Amino acid sequence: MKKSNDIFLETVHNIQQTYGYIPEREINQLAEKFDQPRAKIYGAIKFYSMLYTEPTGKYIIRICDSLSCHLKDSHDLLLAVQDYLGLEDGETSSDQLFTLEIVECLGHCGEGPVMMVNDKMYTELTKGKALEILQDCK
Amino acid sequence: MVIEKKFLKGNPLKDISEYDFPGLRRALSLGQENVIQEISDSMLLGRGGAGFPTGTKWSLALEQAGDKKYFICNADEGEPGTFKDRFLLEERPLKVLEGLMIGAYAVGADEGFIYIRGEYDLPIKIFREILEDARDEGILGKNIFGSDFDFDLTLVRGAGAYVCGDETSLINSIEGKRGISRIKPPYPIQEGLFGNPTVVNNVESLACAAEIINKGAGEFVALGTDNSRGTKLVSLSGDINLPGVYEIEFGCGTLEEIINDLGGGVSYGNKPKFVIPGGLSTAALLPEELNCGYSYEDIEEAGSSLGSGAIIVVGESRDLVEILLKVSRFYMDETCGTCFPCREGNKQINFMLNQHKNKKFTRQEVEIIKDIGDAIAAAARCGLGQTSLSLIESIFDKFPEELIEEVRHSEKVRNR
Repeated sequence: MKKSNDIFLETVHNIQQTYGYIPEREINQLAEKFDQPRAKIYGAIKFYSMLYTEPTGKYIIRICDSLSCHLKDSHDLLLAVQDYLGLEDGETSSDQLFTLEIVECLGHCGEGPVMMVNDKMYTELTKGKALEILQDCK
Repeated sequence: MVIEKKFLKGNPLKDISEYDFPGLRRALSLGQENVIQEISDSMLLGRGGAGFPTGTKWSLALEQAGDKKYFICNADEGEPGTFKDRFLLEERPLKVLEGLMIGAYAVGADEGFIYIRGEYDLPIKIFREILEDARDEGILGKNIFGSDFDFDLTLVRGAGAYVCGDETSLINSIEGKRGISRIKPPYPIQEGLFGNPTVVNNVESLACAAEIINKGAGEFVALGTDNSRGTKLVSLSGDINLPGVYEIEFGCGTLEEIINDLGGGVSYGNKPKFVIPGGLSTAALLPEELNCGYSYEDIEEAGSSLGSGAIIVVGESRDLVEILLKVSRFYMDETCGTCFPCREGNKQINFMLNQHKNKKFTRQEVEIIKDIGDAIAAAARCGLGQTSLSLIESIFDKFPEELIEEVRHSEKVRNR
């Protein structure tokens, strides 16, 4: 029987939960544990948009701009958040507080527009509500 | 008047101490062949989007030789507009677990995985707790309910890759590889996870299977149409007044009735510009095409597909080019890159769509887009590529006046 720490993705998620990203020394250890060249490990990690090999901001802000949210004005929300944070898609603030990502469907299409702050999902947002949430991120 | 028909929906069911797993108990007393017979009799079609008969899949998996088989629940819901699996994972997770265990028992798998997309934080938390409780209660483990059925289930969190909803990509992902699709055959039921026969089923399919074994195939077969039995969870979103997850008996009404009676009508303008009946990978339908019944066969006849059951309504005065760009960016970002016509084609299409002049395209540009689309559909290994142009092509087909620049008469003369 496989244990969940035999599963690569689960192991990597757990490392990321500890460090906030996958540091290089962990990639070395993963290579040993899963008996794979480091390039394969690195290649697998880089495939997934939620896995990071560099430090991210303390808060990862994900805004869905897929069709259903787009019809609910997610683009305006996105512009307001970009303006407030001074960040483009994929950028991290210099104080390492925020990383901003424009993402595809988050599965809350009936409650758009939506924004995820780390693990927490905020639905039916207005620009004002979104900025309030961001102001509380310290 | 279309109303909901509740076969899968019900009170929240999350606490393992309050649930007796009647479907699983019945399955264990029926025996493997009889369980599969009952699922085949129910004519259940896979609810993830492809619509493959679940009974056939299980029976092929049972026939496979070998001691080691795997059973996977695909909870990597990512088709834009779809949120019905999340509904089940959050509200009725024990039915999903029960269906998964019935399937594992039926095909002879002793080990399983539930692969939940990484963005679904609440479902992940719910399942983590359920798996712990189920192990403590002996619902997972050895000799389940006193039978000779042993089974353990592991939760795997996805990490943000839409393509992992494809079963072969999902298998690669669990194996710790890049989530790229595999060449078929061999199909997963022949050679899947770690080279062993593997069944991959969608969340809703498994919840259906649990209810079918619990209530009997008869009740399920009695619902729906000849070719679409039972009910379907539909995710309504977009320009609609009452978005949400609704359970609909196949054939109980038309798309238009679903949008008006359950969805409360269009919220942006007076009527839809078009409706996407099954998620971003399905062709658009015009308002006059919405009087088709809600079933696999009727929507196919109307020129689209029921897909994942995600109905997205797009209001009358929406900008088509903006929508085309949104759709094409999705496929450009989410293609896994293995089949190069899909990787390069979707990129080129996004590039070409960005070159519009005053929101218009020339006939030649549209032909090139269709050509690339045909190449992708013919060459792509998985459903992502094969259907990546369905919506974009249908929008060009259905709104030529709005999107295609007519060659002016004077130019025609000059070209002669």
